[in-house]
Amino acid sequence: MAKYILKRILYLFLTLFIIATITFFMMKMLPGTPFSNQNRMSAEQLKIVKAQYGLDQSVFVQYIRYIGGLLQGNLGTSFQFNNEPVTALIGQRLAPSMQIGAQAMVVGTIGGILLGALAAIRKNTWVDTLATFISILGLSIPSFVLAVLLQFYLAYKWKIYPVALWDNFQSSILPTLALSALPLGTVARFMRTEMVDVMSSDYIELAKSKGNSSWGVVAKHALRNSLIPVVTIIGPMAVSVMTGSMVVENIFSIPGIGEQFVKSITTNDYPTIMGLTIFYSFLLIIVYLIVDILYGLIDPRIRLGNGGKE
Amino acid sequence: MEQIPQIPKEKFRLIHDENNKDQEKIGTPSLTYMQDVRRRLFKDKVAVVCLALISIIVVISILAPIIAPHNPNAQQVTMSNLPPKLGNLNIPGMNGYQNMGGHMVDAYKQADAPKGTFYILGTDYLGRDLLSRIIYGTRLSLVVAVLATLVDLLIGVPYGIVSGWKGGKTDTFMQRIVEIVSSIPNLIVVILMMIILKPGLTSIVIAIAITGWVTMARLVRAQTFQLKEQEYILAARTLGEPSMKIATKHLIPNLSSTIIIQTMFTIPNAIFFEAFLSFIGIGIPAPNASLGTLLSDGQKAFRFLPYQMWAPAIILSVIMIATNLLGDGLRDAFDPQSSEN
Amino acid sequence: MKSKKYLLALLPIFLFVLVLSGCGSATEKDSKNTLAINSGDVIATMDSSMNTDAIGAQHLTNTMEGLYRYDGKDLKPAIAKKVVKPTNGGKTYTFDLRHTQWSNGKPVTANDFVYAWRRTVDPKTASQYAYIYSGIKNADKINAGKKPVNTLGIKALGKYKLEVTLENAIPYFNTLMASSTFYPQYKPAVEKAGKQYGLSSTGMVFNGPFKLVNWNVSKNSWTEVKNNKYWNAKSVKLKTLKYYVVKDANTGLNLYDANRINRYEKLGGDTARQVSSYKTFSMDKQTANFYLELNQKKYKFFRNAKIRQAISMSINREQLTNNVLGKTGGIEHTIVPVGMSYNPTTKVDFTKEKMLQSSNQYTEYNPKEATKLWKEGIKETGQKNLSFTLLGDDTDNSKKQNEYLQGEMEKNLPGIKITLSNVPFKSRLDKSTSGNFDIVVTGWNADYPDPVTFLDIFTTGNVQNNGKYSNAQYDALINKSKTTDATNEEARWQDLLQATKILTDEQGAIPLYQSYQANLTRSNVKGYQITPNGSYNLVTAYKK
Repeated sequence: MAKYILKRILYLFLTLFIIATITFFMMKMLPGTPFSNQNRMSAEQLKIVKAQYGLDQSVFVQYIRYIGGLLQGNLGTSFQFNNEPVTALIGQRLAPSMQIGAQAMVVGTIGGILLGALAAIRKNTWVDTLATFISILGLSIPSFVLAVLLQFYLAYKWKIYPVALWDNFQSSILPTLALSALPLGTVARFMRTEMVDVMSSDYIELAKSKGNSSWGVVAKHALRNSLIPVVTIIGPMAVSVMTGSMVVENIFSIPGIGEQFVKSITTNDYPTIMGLTIFYSFLLIIVYLIVDILYGLIDPRIRLGNGGKE
Repeated sequence: MEQIPQIPKEKFRLIHDENNKDQEKIGTPSLTYMQDVRRRLFKDKVAVVCLALISIIVVISILAPIIAPHNPNAQQVTMSNLPPKLGNLNIPGMNGYQNMGGHMVDAYKQADAPKGTFYILGTDYLGRDLLSRIIYGTRLSLVVAVLATLVDLLIGVPYGIVSGWKGGKTDTFMQRIVEIVSSIPNLIVVILMMIILKPGLTSIVIAIAITGWVTMARLVRAQTFQLKEQEYILAARTLGEPSMKIATKHLIPNLSSTIIIQTMFTIPNAIFFEAFLSFIGIGIPAPNASLGTLLSDGQKAFRFLPYQMWAPAIILSVIMIATNLLGDGLRDAFDPQSSEN
Repeated sequence: MKSKKYLLALLPIFLFVLVLSGCGSATEKDSKNTLAINSGDVIATMDSSMNTDAIGAQHLTNTMEGLYRYDGKDLKPAIAKKVVKPTNGGKTYTFDLRHTQWSNGKPVTANDFVYAWRRTVDPKTASQYAYIYSGIKNADKINAGKKPVNTLGIKALGKYKLEVTLENAIPYFNTLMASSTFYPQYKPAVEKAGKQYGLSSTGMVFNGPFKLVNWNVSKNSWTEVKNNKYWNAKSVKLKTLKYYVVKDANTGLNLYDANRINRYEKLGGDTARQVSSYKTFSMDKQTANFYLELNQKKYKFFRNAKIRQAISMSINREQLTNNVLGKTGGIEHTIVPVGMSYNPTTKVDFTKEKMLQSSNQYTEYNPKEATKLWKEGIKETGQKNLSFTLLGDDTDNSKKQNEYLQGEMEKNLPGIKITLSNVPFKSRLDKSTSGNFDIVVTGWNADYPDPVTFLDIFTTGNVQNNGKYSNAQYDALINKSKTTDATNEEARWQDLLQATKILTDEQGAIPLYQSYQANLTRSNVKGYQITPNGSYNLVTAYKK
């Protein structure tokens, strides 16, 4: 297992390197410059600025420099905020995004597992129908629409939560709810499907026939075996929560990295776009790694060490 | 040598000719797999209703030019932001009245609309008929969804099966590619597409194509891993069945539930992704509408003109719920194991 | 079946916890001393040499002080003791400075101005607004790296005496002195922070009415507190300013209704239209506008004046401003906005001068005439391909306006096919300056309140002249206003009027509308006034 993880971490860096390379050359293809008043700047000024950002060098030299900086954890300096290091920019905005992202994942996953399990246990009753309806509704409403509805009713009309802004834990609740709908719906549906399959499988019947109580069966066998597909979708779900957070952060005025990302795109802030891309990618790869390890832990039939080969 | 007495032929008789004739007979007509699926699907009332709903929506979308009451892009700025009104029927919420500064005002009268003018779902900020825009928008969104789903299936399923089946180095290599593709935020890919291609339908579908198949591939691979350890696959392999045949005969039918569920997620995902792009401003270019652009415009006007968001949101939800429930029905129908439940 | 009960019970508990956690979030108490306002975006920099946007300018105006400060429409002396009259044929300005302090107690001296100005012009600083110094002695040459920084026409004649020398008379020079690009800087603070100066409030010192606290560029809410060291601190009534970045229109309104913000600024057109009946609704005319530029370099077709007039007359500006923009724009007939500059003798608004009225027909909606001119123009030029791309910004207002323009042109100009390309601001700038467009919607904010800030753009060879409009007579008139007539107010005024008439008659640039800023302000907020350079002066603001 340790060897496997080590190997995966090695791949992680390889993947990051490839992503950094692709992103770097993508960014070089984008039009536009970082300077909004470029045509009003003197040739001398432009020369100095370009030298400052290393833009006077050939693309290849810039690339080598960028990768070199990356190895030292340096993501360059932002164009949008003159001379602000990208790492500082990400660092200062990381906490709120991570908080609502993590909260949404937890709420979504736990809520989804509960909802899905309930539906499966009470298959073909009104509980099942209601749970199915809720989970599908969660999938059917875009986060920006849900955010507006939550804000309008829960904050503006009924005054339960703050409208927006980022002050304390309470201000994180509405964004969390808006973000958790998608993971909740996704998890609930997968959970129900799997659980129904598992509940009708032979080993559950066997466990039941051996006199295990129903609760024990559900907890020990059904739940555990139903969790496998849920674990596989955590990775993609994390992506959806992250991209969803861009619009949710915008709506609730939260100083997160999603909001920063959208803004960097509209201001041609290449270093920040590159930095955030690499950062997002890094997070995702870590999530995938954890998912794969969890996968092996939950389902003993899957042997990670040799890639599943006999 | 003593002769064994010959038993005359006539003494022999098939014993169960008459009484047990039915024992070997198959009572019901022999059904192929697909016939069986269809039979089970049509027994599921919810699925049938959903199928009907989706069919209606698809038909309306196809017939949009005939059905839509107005040109969806024709502007009539003086008639902008009119609330829904249905003829002269005074249905609350559909009578052309609007809350303005605390009073209910006849918005049609205020806009000096000629007598008899009414828009069933109201108009948007440029006075375009919302109903027509929704019909055309649904059409566009469905096109995006269908194209994205096709790509999903064509790339994702074979990729996942090969990766999971071959295992070992092939799998590792293929998973690295999946990892790299899925590790780049979709947005970046889309922005690149918008530069290389002109913003529009093609770039959106390509963008979804480049990023979308990955989930399908991962799920199919995971399932294939599980399946190939199953006894019946092992048996098939031991008996020397070629891989291709195992894939089509055993894997795909058993993967069908995973594939169908994922497909049913791809449709809303594609519509969602398009809506997301519209919200941050790089979706379907104006003046054409999609459910995404309509929703994002409606969202911004929600405080005062809620109908502009509700109408597309409800249509979107109906499509989502119908596709999802139909997916459930299809899964039950496809999966021989679930037929008894 | 025990398990079902457990699971069933968990769900409501889960929801209950969520609801409970929301209780107690009552709306904040409204304090008389605190004013909360939305901001369209974060502050990109607090370095007056580096700032390029209106948000930065607003917060520099809040926290710093220059030679003058606008109080409403009036230019009032600030660090300078009085509004100075130039000597030496309009080329020399000598300022006597008040004895004022930085927020750390150190005196604000003439040398702080010298330091700041030299730093801005220095090519090493790479200020994107250094061009505004053009006209001050040697500024252009220093900026081009051809002369040393200390040759700039600014000199400290004493600790509190400042002398500025110009290359030639600039009639609007005094108004420039109220703009944040000319503010003084405290050398030790700038040098200590180095390249990071203006990215965080740590180590910054201020000499204005308020001080930024606990701020850095990634903050999307920040606080400014009253600066007791401000020379005019007794006039400042508010103790705290709170700013929140709000980007969503619904959120802004909900925050305003919950009184989390006392003022909701810069409403989008859609929102403005809906709340225009509110008593607390107000509108500020801005010295900024939007106009169409046609790429005359790429298409000979667009060099035909009839074609440009036809396009202009195909647009119903009344509908555009009222129905599409929700009155966040006002009709304008010339490229010079209304309410910015006035006749030096008669005090008549520039745009209301008699000479310009006959040209208004070219910006009035006249579909018949538009179709006629369009057809004539096509015949004259023999243009076959009538498909063009309309380039614009990707803001909500801009998208709606462009959709409308597309509809109008396609309705009134037979055969034209418009494709929309709405791109981020910087991409639009890049495309339009590099000539990579057919038709572009350009916005321009006055750098200083004088018609020249707009008229200069359309002279031949001006870097901002994206459409490459060119008219020798026009160029000559603008040049005359800057040279021979520079010190003769009346003659200069006539030059500018004549130039404007030529530009409007030929529709060298097609004016669309003047930007208006729509706001909601709580009725207890008073004295919150916009100034001619676009920023608000918060010295006078207070709450009842």
